[in-house]
Parts: sequence; structure tokens; C-alpha cells
Amino acid sequence: MPKLSIKDLDKISERVKKTTLLREGAGRAKITVHMGTCGIAAGARGIMNTLMDEFEKQEIKDVILTSSGCAGLCSREPMATVELKDEAPVKYVDLTPEKMRRVLAEHVNGGRVVSEYALAKGSERVS
Amino acid sequence: MNEYSSDKYRLHLMLCAGTACVSNKSFKIKVALDEELKKQGLDREVIVVMTGCNGFCAVGPVMTVMPDGIFYHSVTNEIIPHLVEEHFLKGRPVKRLMFTPPTEKIAIPKMMDIGFFSRQTLIALRNRGLIDPEIIDEYIARDGYRALAKALTEMSPEEIITEVKKSGLRGRGGAGFPTGLKWELCRNQPGDSKYIICNADEGDPGAYMDRSIVEADPHSVIEGMLIGARAIGASKGYVYIRAEYPLAMKRLEIALDQAREYGLIGEKIFDTDFSFDISIKQGAGAFVCGEETSLIGSIEGRPPEPRQRPPYPVESGLWGKPTNINNVETWATIPVIIDRGADWFSSIGTQLSKGTKVFSLVGKINNTGLVEVPMGITLREIIYDIGGGIPKGKKFKAIQTGGPSGGCIPASLINLPVDYEKLTEAGSIMGSGGLIVMDEDTCVVDVAKYFIDFTNDESCGKCASCRDGSSELLEILRRISRGDGKEGDLQALEELANAIKDASMCGLGQTLPNPVLSTLKYFEDEYIEHIKYKRCSALVCKGIISSACQHICPISQDVPNYVGLIAQGKFEEAIKVVRKENPLPLICGRVCNTPCEKKCVAGEWDDPIAIRLLKRFLADYEMRHGVVVEEKPKSDKKEKVAIVGSGPAGLTCAHSLALEGYKVTVLESQEIPGGMLSLCIPDFRLPKEVLKYEIDRIKGLGVEIKTNTTVGKDISLNKLKDEYNAVFIAIGAYKGLKMKIPGENTEGVIDAIEFLMDINLGRQVEIGDLVIVVGGGNSAIDAARVARRLGKDTKILYRRTRAEMPAIKSEIEEALNEGVDIQFLAAPINVISSNGRLEAVECIRMELGEMDQSGRRRPVPAEGSEFKVGVDTLILAISQEPDISSLDGNQLNISKWNTLVVDPETLSTNIKGIFAGGDVVTGPNTVTEAMAHGKTAAEMIDKYIKGEKLERKYEVTRPALYVQAVKLTEEETKSLKRPKAQFIPTDRRLKDFAEVELGFTEADAILEAKRCLRCDLEAKEEK
Repeated sequence: MPKLSIKDLDKISERVKKTTLLREGAGRAKITVHMGTCGIAAGARGIMNTLMDEFEKQEIKDVILTSSGCAGLCSREPMATVELKDEAPVKYVDLTPEKMRRVLAEHVNGGRVVSEYALAKGSERVS
Repeated sequence: MNEYSSDKYRLHLMLCAGTACVSNKSFKIKVALDEELKKQGLDREVIVVMTGCNGFCAVGPVMTVMPDGIFYHSVTNEIIPHLVEEHFLKGRPVKRLMFTPPTEKIAIPKMMDIGFFSRQTLIALRNRGLIDPEIIDEYIARDGYRALAKALTEMSPEEIITEVKKSGLRGRGGAGFPTGLKWELCRNQPGDSKYIICNADEGDPGAYMDRSIVEADPHSVIEGMLIGARAIGASKGYVYIRAEYPLAMKRLEIALDQAREYGLIGEKIFDTDFSFDISIKQGAGAFVCGEETSLIGSIEGRPPEPRQRPPYPVESGLWGKPTNINNVETWATIPVIIDRGADWFSSIGTQLSKGTKVFSLVGKINNTGLVEVPMGITLREIIYDIGGGIPKGKKFKAIQTGGPSGGCIPASLINLPVDYEKLTEAGSIMGSGGLIVMDEDTCVVDVAKYFIDFTNDESCGKCASCRDGSSELLEILRRISRGDGKEGDLQALEELANAIKDASMCGLGQTLPNPVLSTLKYFEDEYIEHIKYKRCSALVCKGIISSACQHICPISQDVPNYVGLIAQGKFEEAIKVVRKENPLPLICGRVCNTPCEKKCVAGEWDDPIAIRLLKRFLADYEMRHGVVVEEKPKSDKKEKVAIVGSGPAGLTCAHSLALEGYKVTVLESQEIPGGMLSLCIPDFRLPKEVLKYEIDRIKGLGVEIKTNTTVGKDISLNKLKDEYNAVFIAIGAYKGLKMKIPGENTEGVIDAIEFLMDINLGRQVEIGDLVIVVGGGNSAIDAARVARRLGKDTKILYRRTRAEMPAIKSEIEEALNEGVDIQFLAAPINVISSNGRLEAVECIRMELGEMDQSGRRRPVPAEGSEFKVGVDTLILAISQEPDISSLDGNQLNISKWNTLVVDPETLSTNIKGIFAGGDVVTGPNTVTEAMAHGKTAAEMIDKYIKGEKLERKYEVTRPALYVQAVKLTEEETKSLKRPKAQFIPTDRRLKDFAEVELGFTEADAILEAKRCLRCDLEAKEEK
């Protein structure tokens, strides 16, 4: 590595941006793959892997990818919840890698909800 | 540098690899996590990042899972498979690894919701736990080296200094000298060759903030030094770090290598004309090296001894060149000031102390750890809101700030805002930021001794004042804590301390007396207690206390020895040991409030020894087996003593005087003797025949008890005084206090003591079906349990929580078992009646409000929370005061609490020959305290009659004999447990007044006695 110039600081920051955002718990969007036993049996791992691959391929750095337990609608698994910053979460059901890629492209990156795969907007209230 | 790879992972497990967590095996956890992630196929998705110290060292190893911010503590290898599957695969955070605050029950999942973290403001520690300290890119990504870029390209050296001056930053190493000013002084020195030094020779016991910063974020220190070097005009810097910090050193070396590789250290940094290099100098860990001139000496290869200042290092430092020294935390703060500006920084803190300060919070505190807080935060916020308070609900006593050079600040100053000035005013210093919390079990003499021992060890020896002065201080303190303190010691301590301050050359000597001076200032009483009264109320100084149980017992029962004899099966010898100090063991074995058990050393990690039940076992054994310990008067004296009142104080006094040979007459106004013991404690706790046995023994010594004889009515006090050689008044405190609320004079509102007396005297008592008792003491509990036995629906209202209830804990438990409904945090405000008949009581809910100076939260009424409870009989058990109306001793001095005023040392009243003790003097108090008064009164009356000077002799506590400890088998060591106290079943209790608690069996008693740690033997060895 040659000597750094000041501009290089920005380049390094950009390269590490995903890590920085993730560790600060910040990002422009968050995708939660439901990974309960039902989800995994229905193929949630495949959904997660698809997302991981796409993130790397598309160099997506500002989206948080996380897992959570069963969403309660086991018959419609695999499911994922997409939450854009400052917007209501949307649950997608009966996902396949193809559908997930479309959600990523249209909703996460494009900002348009893919209504055909969406179950409903919002999440249950936790009291 | 390798391509940055952490970006590929969706979950980052930020595992703490600070020194504290490493000692808790965090490296092994990392290996196990990596293996398990691989096994479950998650190694492509989840990465384990080893971070620097996260600060919450008390619960290590700790791990924060990002991006969710879930905080796990006390992570073990065993739980890892479960954790990986549940959380990292299925996304279900694992509750049992989450933090639950000591005072609450619900676990908190997220780090930023935990009080310990959420109340902190991070500047120096801004990157802790968020970056891998061994990867420079992660530092850069969090704005690292931007301040350097700004300083080099946008600011002149003078502007840098102006900015730092404007920020108000003061040196974080201890003295608090303004950093910008120091830089300016150094910059203005002539010459091209200047040095800067980072002082990482952190040596205060219990302080580790510098180590943590270097471990967690070494680049922040390097960047700060670079900026400082630019401002001052230095081209070479040193980090002086002690060799005991291997992890910090390793991370610093890695950081320096990486910075060098990036050209951030070296020639022409960022293509400017600025060049700078940093070397590490290892220190050998001498405390004096924290002093700047000694530190410089050490770098130069000379012995680390301070030299006279001026010239200051900024004028003539390392190798005679201008040298600027700042400590780790100061350097780590610099980049943020340059990056975010002086205005931002100076908006935090107080008028003269700006920004934040890192403290290491240790000692008797729940959340031990490293905290960064804004200047001006109060000690209370640090101790309670961040530190989670004192373990086991004990009382906060004092806090030592600033390490061995600092002072001890008492609990009364808990609301003190923490900044340089306020701490100095309070007699302490900020120092480098050590905070050692002390609870009620900490002895200040011992604390002072500890610190002086430390500084005496660490004194370099150059100045006689420091070298020999600290030795002499230590000798005096050792003497005091051994119980050999002399009058004049305090003055000697103070004079010596001031002399050391004045005559020592460097900070070590100048500040080492601080712990002595500040404890003398705030805790002089405790020193006097050690020197004059031979007491150590914190139960620490072995030479004085022998064992905690014996020292705290008001009648100095030789507990370890009688317990030791029980362990050997020698019951008869054991009861002799008990009887030597205690004429009422059957009673104490049943109703004592057991201060001994509360301070039992075995209770610190297990249950305390069941001292009361062991005593009861012995006393019952004696009574049942007729193995009566014989007692005989020493001689036959003709002098007569009258004792007014036959409660525990009167009986004990009568017993002691009778043994001396005096003719003792006890006058009791009621129809039976025993005072509170017979009148107010119900039979189910203290059966009458048990009391009779003890009273008969005392009568057997020739004591005459005249019942139904009221002094002031049947015989005048003056007459008693004339007829007897001395009089002891111990008439107790029976008069119930009122609540002072409307309606409480209604019929149906009765007094607990009167109620209990009526029951105990077998009088007919009429109470309604709904009974409410108000109060939280033993009388309240007793009255409620009696009401239950009369078949009534019974409630207790108490205005604080169960933890504060003064009644004996096991009795509260049994009251609940018997169906008493206790309403905590409820206070009556109005008694409601109709047609003169009691109907209901209106109450208000209380909340625990602001903490008072002792650190306890005061109950305050919650507005609008009024509620009514129906009631037929309302029993008041608030408190009592003595009723001295019957005594015609109108010449006796009386306090505003209606108690008799006595000389606390001799118990003599203002009238010659009349002594007083027990509740009539102290107000409502315990049986053993009353007995102690009885014993003291007897001793003083004996002296009085003999015409000797009335004075007490105070001695250190010592066992009277040596009892060999029983050796436990390995099996016993593991399996011995305090036996559960046995009670008759609740369904059988409520039918009558039969004694509820059953005693130990012989086998139980021996096993329990074996569990005793025999602290007395330790003292024997030490002496």
C-alpha cells in the first residue's frame, strides 16, 4: 500500500462503509428473513444466501440484512420483511430466490413495493 | 494491507478483547464461536470481531451483536451452539445471556437501553467496541485521521493551539493543567528539536482507562500525538507504557506499523512538510514514573527519580529539549476537538471543566467498568444510574477519587458534581479517573492504611519526607487498626501529613497524604472509635474485632467459640460460653434480630451461619436436659440496688449485680415480670414458660421481683433513692405514637402495644373482622399475626418497600405464610367513620422518590393514587416512646423524644445514684441493645457503690478461650448447607398460640456449627 493521500481516506471509508453502517445499526433499509424452523424448512436459507450473494455482486453497502424467528404465518414461508428507512415494513410471503431478487431490485433499490408478493404493510403491535 | 473483508458479513459479533474480558477467556470464546458458525454453515454470513474494552467489565466476557445492538454478557463456551442456532441462524436473541439490572427482573436486550451504557457520552472512547483495533481501515472509516488531515492542510500550528485552548481541554492525567496552554509554552520555546510524550504509565490501583483506550483504539492516541507534534513543532514522540500492559502494547505496535505503512507516520505526511515518528518505551511499572520528570529520566535511561521543577519539561525535558507530556486520554480526545471544533467540545461539561472524563468505576459497585461521562455529572448519577448501585442493597459509604493521590468523599456529598474544582474543594482530586466505591463494610482507617502502604512501597526514596514520612504514617495507621491507637495519634497523623505535603518534591509525595487527610476530615469519628472505643463498626480491622459476629453483638457473645464447641458435640461447655455473657439465651435464641448473622462472613457467598438457632439449641438443651450452668454470687454484699422495670435491661442488670453479691429488688408495675418480653411478644414467638425459666434462674440468685408495683404511684422515686444505694431505671418505651391524620381518635382505632399486652395478660379483647395494622416493625407483624389467630382478615399497610421493613425478615415471611396481606408503599391519610363507627381508612400509594444522602430512596406520595380500604379495627404500630408520666422523677432530664437523658458512657442520669438504660433511654430498640445497657449499668453501679471513678474500660474484642476448629471432610465442605428452619405447618398454627418455630435437632446443630469459618482463629494468628 503506497502512502495515503487525503482523498484515500474517503476511499477507505467508502470501502468499509457497510461495516461502519452495520455497526452503527444504521442503513437505508433493513431486510429481515424469517428463519424459524418453518422458514428454514421452506427454504429461508436459500433466500438468505440469495441476498448475501446479491449484496456482494451489487456491492450493496447500506442495507442491513438480518434474520428473525417465525413470523407466525408458517404456511406462507419463506417470508421476509423489508423496511425502508422511515417507511412502514412490508412482509413478503412464499418467496423464492427469483422473487427475492425482484423485491431487492424493485423495493429495496427502487422504492416500489412489489404488491404481488406482499402480504400486508405493517407489523403487529408488540405490547 | 489485505483487501478489507468484514463488509461481506451480515452479522458482526463484537466480542470484547480488552484485558478484563481476555482474562475471562474471550479468546477461547472466539475460537468456539468460529467453529460453531462453520458447523452451522454461517461462517460466510457472520463474523466475530475482537474489539477493545467495551467498558462493562463486571459482566465479561461481553459481546454486542450488530446491527441489532443486542448485548450479551457472561458468554461461556457451553452456550455457544445454542446461541449460534437460536440467534445467528433463526434470529431469536437468547434471553438468558442478556443483562438484567440488579434491582430489576426483566432482561434488557439492547445495549443502548442498558443504563450503564445509555448514560455515557463517548469522546475518548468513541470507537470502543465498534472497531477492530488491529484494522486501521475501520478507524479511518469512523472519521479517523481526518482531524490530522485538517490540522495539516487547513490549520496553522498556532490555529491548532488556539483551538485546543478554546476547547478548555485540561490534562486528563491528574493535575488538570490546560492542554492548549502547555502546548503553547512548549511551542514558544526556542530550538528545533522538541519532543512529545504520551504518558501511558497508568499506575493507580483500580484504574485502567488508559490501558483500555490503547487497547480499544490505539490510532486515536497516535492521531492526537501527530496533531500535537504539528502544533508544537516536534518531530519525535514516545509512548511510555508499562510492561504490565502487553495487550495494549501489542495493539499499539500493530497500529504504529499500519500507520507507518499508510505513511501517516514518517516523512512528509499527507505530502506536507510535516514529518513525525513515534517509538514505544516500556516502563517497568514504577508508580513514580507517572510523574513527568521521573518518566523522562526513565526514557533517558536514568533511575526514575523526580527532579526539581522549574525548569518544567516544556522548557527542558527529554535530553534537555522542550518536551510536552500528555496522558493517553488527553491525546485520544484531541482529534475529536480538531474535527468537531472547540465550540462543540466546550459545550459539554462545566464552566471550568470541559468535555468528558473517563472513569474506572470499581469497588463495591454492581456495574464495575469503564465509563465516560460529561464533566459535572453527580457522583450519585455515576454510582446509581450508571454503576447500578451498591451490591446486596448495602449502604454507600464513601468514594475514593483520584487513586492513592486522591481523597475519600463521604456519602453525604453524593450530589457533588464531578469536575476538577468541586473535587478539589471536597478534599480530593480528579486524578486520572479512578473511582473506588466503598460500602458500609469498608473501614476508612483500613482504606487509608491500604493507600499509604501502596505509596510507601512506591516512593522512590529521594525525599526523606515522602520516604520516611509515609513509613511513619503507615506505622501509626497500622497501630490504630490493631487497636493500639493512642491519644494524640490523630494530631500526629495530621501534622505529619501536612509536613509530607510541604516538603516533598514531586506529586507522589505531595499527594500521598490525601487519603489520610480526607478520611480524617470526613470520618474523624471512625478514627476515634478505633482509638478510644476499640471498635471498628465496618468490622474490618481484625486486630480489633476478632470476629465480626462477636464484635457486632451488643453483649459481645463469643459466637465462634460456642459454635466451635457445638461442632465438637460439647453442648454443656458451649452453653457455659453463652451464659458467660448472656443471662437470657432462651430468649435471644428466639427473638434476637441477629446483627451477627447479617455480618457473618460465611454469608458473603452462602447463607450466614444460623447463630440464633444454634444458641436456641443450646439453651433448649440446657433446659430440657437439666444440665444447668450453675451461677453463684461472688460474695455477699449488704448494699441494695433497686431496678425499675423487669424487661431485658432490668433483668440483665439484676443478674449482673446479683452475681456481684448485691441485694437487688426489681419493681415491676405489671402483674407479670419480663417487660416487653412478656407483655408484647406473643407466645407463638416466645412461650411464657421459656421466659419463666430464665426469670426463675435470676430469682435464684437472690433477686426479688415485686410485681404490681409502680414507681411514682406505689413508691416514690425519691424514697427508692433514699432506701437503696443506687437505682436503675429501665421502664421501656410503651406509649404508642399516633399517625397524626384526621379521624384517628375514632373508636376502633387501637394501639398495637396495648392490644398485644391485653392478649398476653389474658384479657378479653374485642376486635372486628376486618383488621388493618399500620407499621413495619416487629410490633406490627406481631399484632397482625395475633389478629390472624383470632380469626380475622388482616392487612398490614407499610409506606416503604419490603426491603426497608425493620421487622425481622423471617417473621415477615411467616406473617405472609399465615395469610397476612401486606400492602407495601401504602400510607393512611384519613380515617373514615360514620356515626362514630370506624368504616374505612383512606390511603395513598407511595413511590420511591429521590435518593436521600444515605443513598436510600425516600417514599413520596403519588398524587391522585388515593384509595379506600374497609376496616373494623385499625391497629397502630408506628413507633413508641417512653411514658415517664408515672415516674415522679420530675428532676430527671428528659429529651425532646421523651427519653431519659444519660451520659452515654456511664448511663448515669443527672441525679447522682440514679442510672437509666434500655428503651427508656434509646427509644424502641432491640433486646440485646437493652441487655447491653443492663450490663453496663451494673458495671457502673458497682463502681458507684464502691466509690470508684465512673468510667468505662474499652478493650478490643477477643475470644475468652481457644476452641479447636473441627476439620471437615471434603464431602462435608461441598455438601454442608444451612438447615432450613422448621416451623409447625401453617394450617395448624392459627388455632392457638403454640410456638411456631421449632429448634434444631442435635444432628442439625452439629452440621450447621461445622460450617462456621471460625474467623476468631484468623485474628489469633495475626496477633
